[in-house]
Parts: sequence; structure tokens; C-alpha cells
Amino acid sequence: MFTPSRHLHPSPTRPPSRRALLRGAAGLGATAALTACGQGATTPRTSGDVTLALWTHDQNYEDFFTRSIPAANRLTDFAYHLSTTRAGAPDLVTKLLAQAVAERGVPDMVGFEMSAFPRMLRGDIAERLLRDLGEDVARTPGLKEDLLPARTAPFSKDGKLYGLDSDTPLIVHYYRRDLFEKYGLPAGADTWEEFARIGERAHREHGVALNAVVTGPDVNQVVQSFQMLFNQRGGGLFDKDQRLTLDSHEAVEALEFICRGLRAGFITPVSDYFGGPMQAALKQGKVIGVLMATWFKIYGLMPNVPEQKGRWGMAAPPRFAAGGHATATTGGTGFGVLRGKPNTLAAAEFLRSTYLTHEAQVRRFHDLGYLPTRASVYRDKALLRTTDAYLGGQRPFDVYTALLDDVPRVYVSPDQSILNDVLAGCLLGAYRGDLTPRAAIRKAAADFRDQAGR
Amino acid sequence: MTSTSTSTSLRARPARSGATAPVDTRARRAALHPYLFIAPFYVLYVLFMLVPIAVALWLSLCEWVGLGAPHWVGPRNYAHLLTDASFHRALGNTGIYVLVSLLVIVPAALFVAQAINARGVRARDLWRTAYFVPIVVSPIVVALIFGLIFDRQFGLLNSVLRALFGTGSVDWLGDPTLSKVAISLVMVWRWTGYLTIFFLAGLQNVPRELYEAASIDGAGPVRTFFTVTLPALKPVAAFVAVTSFIGAAQIFDEPYLLTGGGPAEATLSVAMFIYRAAFERQQFGYAAAAGVVLFVVVFTLSRLFNRLLGIGRTQ
Repeated sequence: MFTPSRHLHPSPTRPPSRRALLRGAAGLGATAALTACGQGATTPRTSGDVTLALWTHDQNYEDFFTRSIPAANRLTDFAYHLSTTRAGAPDLVTKLLAQAVAERGVPDMVGFEMSAFPRMLRGDIAERLLRDLGEDVARTPGLKEDLLPARTAPFSKDGKLYGLDSDTPLIVHYYRRDLFEKYGLPAGADTWEEFARIGERAHREHGVALNAVVTGPDVNQVVQSFQMLFNQRGGGLFDKDQRLTLDSHEAVEALEFICRGLRAGFITPVSDYFGGPMQAALKQGKVIGVLMATWFKIYGLMPNVPEQKGRWGMAAPPRFAAGGHATATTGGTGFGVLRGKPNTLAAAEFLRSTYLTHEAQVRRFHDLGYLPTRASVYRDKALLRTTDAYLGGQRPFDVYTALLDDVPRVYVSPDQSILNDVLAGCLLGAYRGDLTPRAAIRKAAADFRDQAGR
Repeated sequence: MTSTSTSTSLRARPARSGATAPVDTRARRAALHPYLFIAPFYVLYVLFMLVPIAVALWLSLCEWVGLGAPHWVGPRNYAHLLTDASFHRALGNTGIYVLVSLLVIVPAALFVAQAINARGVRARDLWRTAYFVPIVVSPIVVALIFGLIFDRQFGLLNSVLRALFGTGSVDWLGDPTLSKVAISLVMVWRWTGYLTIFFLAGLQNVPRELYEAASIDGAGPVRTFFTVTLPALKPVAAFVAVTSFIGAAQIFDEPYLLTGGGPAEATLSVAMFIYRAAFERQQFGYAAAAGVVLFVVVFTLSRLFNRLLGIGRTQ
């Protein structure tokens, strides 16, 4: 049966055997699978139709970017479409790293919530994955100088800008205008000392608090309550080189003020800024003021107490007599572009045209309520005339523009999470009276050095 | 019969000598069939159990931020664990959760099962369902509800305490000691009903004659419980104890959702420590080392319990 010649010279007319067919099919399948597993085309797109993979934690961003497509199409050579994936803010970073390790399924644009972004600064993760948007900013003359350093600093590393912030979340004091008037409390105290005197009287006579600090399980919020005052006082958790600078008299002073407020009752502890207990406190009129970022009106007040529309007001925060700044910032979400992808240029152009132009920043304020990140936009006449119905018709930009010239930069570190964990515990210890403010700050710094060295 | 068949086979062998090889191959293949049937499990076991364990072991000897090549550091991660106060706190807290599970939840489950199993209890299925419901409720919902209950200023529990005793500013989730109590209460609420089902199944298998004999001998309820019920339930109790131990040693949901491990790591569990190191701090090697330590501790103690309690042995 076996004839070597047949194997050496197969007949061209002979039909393939079943085994040969199976082998062929397997080979084709393997080829297809390997192709699917590959990176795909890497030739950069420079124009035409493009579908950007956008990852964000917030539906509002998806809506805003979708609405911004016509403007982006007009300003660039691309015709954009979006494919959006939504996940929790910390999960986005985890998922991004997993996809990067797998070398597939990486998005073109990602929104990094401020508390999640420091993870991208660990090692060379940001450098390997993200495009330096500083180059895109530099292409527009004057833009770099116009962008507020307070909002580029948190998303920068080694002189490279890895995220464009969506907001300039200035810290302001929201207060119940009607109850302040009813109780005869003056709004807009100049100094924290004056604020404390007013607050002590308000609590003594009416049982209300003028501010709230978080003492619940979310360490980020616990630290946030303290950091707002600390930054305003002129301190910072980290310096530009990511070195810890917590252990300072500014930190002690800010913490002493909070502890004093908690003991006197004009600051009240809440488990978090957005949950049921805070809502109850606001509804019952027990908390009649909150020191928080501008976005708190949208995410904290309006959803929790919509019926109080028109009864709230906004004032610049009081200042520390010993020095510091007019305000500070907290929170924010920076959008970054993944580098080395076919859509990298398209994504960078999209972000530039929807986030950095004057019109885009005005539109973003109207759509999302987020403040411009370009100083020049604060001079926009239409914005200056804007009134806020929830704030009883107040012109919010009167407050914003007064604060804008003195906003401190905030630097973050890849070890931010470690600091948040240790600092939150020490802050709560100080609030309870287990630690003095000075001891709490020193302990937090010592614990951080112990853990961050691992 | 035997000699005939033997001779037949002896006679047949030379005649079939030409077909020996295919027969052997067929026999070998037939012998492989059982292995082929059980192979899927072992393939998956290797892929999804042994390979990850091996990778975790290797990773525990490296430093890795989650991207790029891991950097070999040898046993440094383990050395750091030895001096890491956070890890020690997490181990201590986890030990407390394990004790609560073994000394409070398991006996409570047995007590509830005994009560539901008592003669004359009406709406037995309703009770059983009511006790079982907490385990099927989403942990997120549990955290939200208990967050409202335990809140210091506006919580239900403090409001009740205030109404009844005039004192009600207990910081259930903010005090280092009370937060452990709060987590333990949630654990009891969540797991007691689940374990009750196991005990109930065991109780329903205890022969009635034994209770009748004990009654005739004049044994009271307590004596009957210790001389009849408990010995009969020993296999179930041992299983429940070991699985409760393993579950409590790996506890994550309750402290993560209710206190985030705080205040000041007062409720941090080892599983949370691992999660935090890997997914909040990008210290994957360190997290892997902590995971290996947790695995070794849980595995060793589980084996010890198995041996002590005689799980799987007939006598």
C-alpha cells in the first residue's frame, strides 16, 4: 500500500484528506486567533473617521464629549465617534493596567479622578502609557501660560503633563443664606478666627454647625476635609519632587482649628459628604454651611436638598490670619491620552478641541458646572453675567474671580494612598482627643516614612 | 471452566499474534479513557489554581508596579512583612474576626437551629427563610443600611439609645474598639442564618429514638443537648467550624464596605491589606507575599482543625 512516490509527488487532482482539511482549518483558526491577539494596525491616523475608545467614571463626561463632537469635527481633520466604557474611578486605573499588560483593549482617552491618578505615577507607568500633553498645549501660543498651574501641577511629573483637568475646583463656603439671616449670623467672615466666633455663637444659641468634616470610612474624604484647610494655610502634603512635607506648623494650625471647631460644635462630624447622614443634617438644618469645592453644589447640595434651591449662598472662604492663600482646590478629573496607538493623535486633538479652547471651557461650565482651567476664560463677559438659581440668583463668578489669583498648587505622589491611610487614622485620633494635633501630624509623618519605604 | 478457558486462550494466542500491536494500543487507549474524562478538571485546576499559585509565589519574591518586568528582590517582601505594623494589625484584627466567627457565630447558629428545630414551632419555613435572607442580600446594601444604623450623629442605633437612655453619641464606626464591635455585629447578622441551615440539616438527621431514650432515662433539655444532639452533630459542627474559620480568615466585604479598614486600620483585615497593597498602592510583589503568608496560615490551621475534629474520618 505504501508508495513513497505518491507522497513525494502527490496527484494534483486528488481531493484533500479529512486530516489535511482539519489541519488546514486548525491552522487558519490559529492564524485568526493570533491576529486577533495582536496589537492591530499601529499606523497613526491623521485624518478621517475615527472611533475613540473613551473610559470615564462619570456619565456627565460621556454626555459632554458626545455633545462636543461637532465642535471637534469642525476644528480638526477628524470625524469623531465615541465608544465609551464606564467604571468606578479606581477601577479604571486597575483595568487600564491590566489591559496594558495584555497589550490589547487599551482605550484612547481615560478620565483619571484625582484620587486615582497617583497610582499612575508609580514607577514609569505614566511615562510608558500616557502621552505628554504639554507638547499639545505648547502648539497653541500663549496657552501654556494661560492654563492655571494649580490644575496642571497635580497631573504633571518630571515636567510632563499627563492629564488635562476638567475643573478648577476652588474651595468656597456654601451657607444657608436664609438661616444665616434668621439667626443674625454675618456671612463671609474675613478670618477663620472670626468664623470660629460666629460659629460658636451659632452652635450655642441655635445648635447648628457652619461646617462639616468627614470622620467616616472613606480615608480620602477624611484627608480631604483636613487638606483643604491645610493647603489654604499654605502647606502641602507633598512638594514638587513628591517628598513628604506634611510635618509643618501649617498642618498643626489647620488641624488645631478643626479640633477646636469639633469641640465647640461649629464643625460637625459626618460619615461622608454625600451620604444619608449628611443629607439628614442638611435637611434638618443642623448643618447650615459647608466648606467645600465648587462642585459640591452639583454633587452634594442639589441632589440631596433640591428643595432648598434659592436658599443657599456662596462666599469666599475665610483666611488664616497667619498667612496662606485666598482658597485652595480639591478633587478634579484629568483626561489623559494613551500614547503609541493609531488614535493617539486623534485623541489628543479631540481633547484639545473639546477642553482647551475658550468656547469649549465656557460650554463645559454651562454643561457640567465645572470652572475653566484657563485664566483668560474667567474674563468672559457671558460667564461673568451668569447667575445661579440654586444660589438665589447670585453671580458665582464674582466670588471665583476674586479668588483666582491666589490658588495654591497641589502636588501628588504615588505614595498618596499610603499617606491617606496613615493620616486619616491620626486625624481621627486628634478629633477624638486621643492625640494632640502636633502629635497626630508627627505620627502620620513617621508612619508614612515607615510604610512608604517598603 | 477455568482450565478450558485457559487452554483456549493459550491456543488462540499464536493465531492472533499478527494483531497484538493494535490490541495493545486499543487497550492502552481504553485505559486512558477515564483520565480523559477527568482531564478537563485537572487542566482547569492547573491553569487556574496551580499556575496562579506558582506565579504568586514568584511574584512575592519580586517588586512589580503592575506594568513592565517584575524586579527580583528575593525574600525582601517577607522581611518587610515581619516588621510592618500594618500587617501585624491586620493579622490581629483577622484573628479577632476568626474568634468572633468560631466563638459567637457558630454557637449562635447552633442555638438558632435548635430553636427552629424544636417541636411545636409554627411557621418553621418562615423563620428559616428570615434567618437566611441576610446572606443573599448584596454586601453593598448591607453596608449602606448598617452605615445608616451606626452613624454617630444621625444613626438609628444612637437615636434609639438617645431615646431610651438619654445617651447616644457613640462613635460606632469611628472608635477603634467599637468599630470592631460594629463589624462583628454585621458578621453575626450576616452569617448566623447561613450556618443555621447546615445545623438544621444535621439536626433533622438525628434519630428521634435517641431523644426518646434520653427522655426515658430522665435527661433534661440541657443534658439531652450535650449527650445526644452535640455528639450527633459533630461532623456537621466540624465542617461548619472549619469553613467558618476559612471564611473569617479571608474576610473582606464587611470591613471594606463599612469602615474601609479604619479608623487607623483598626478594622483592617489581611485580605484588605492585600487588596490595598496591590490595587491602591501598586505594590503587587508585597501583596503577593502577604497573600502567600495568609495562604500558609489558613492552610496550616485548616489542616490542624481537620485533624483535631476528624473531618472526613468515619471514626
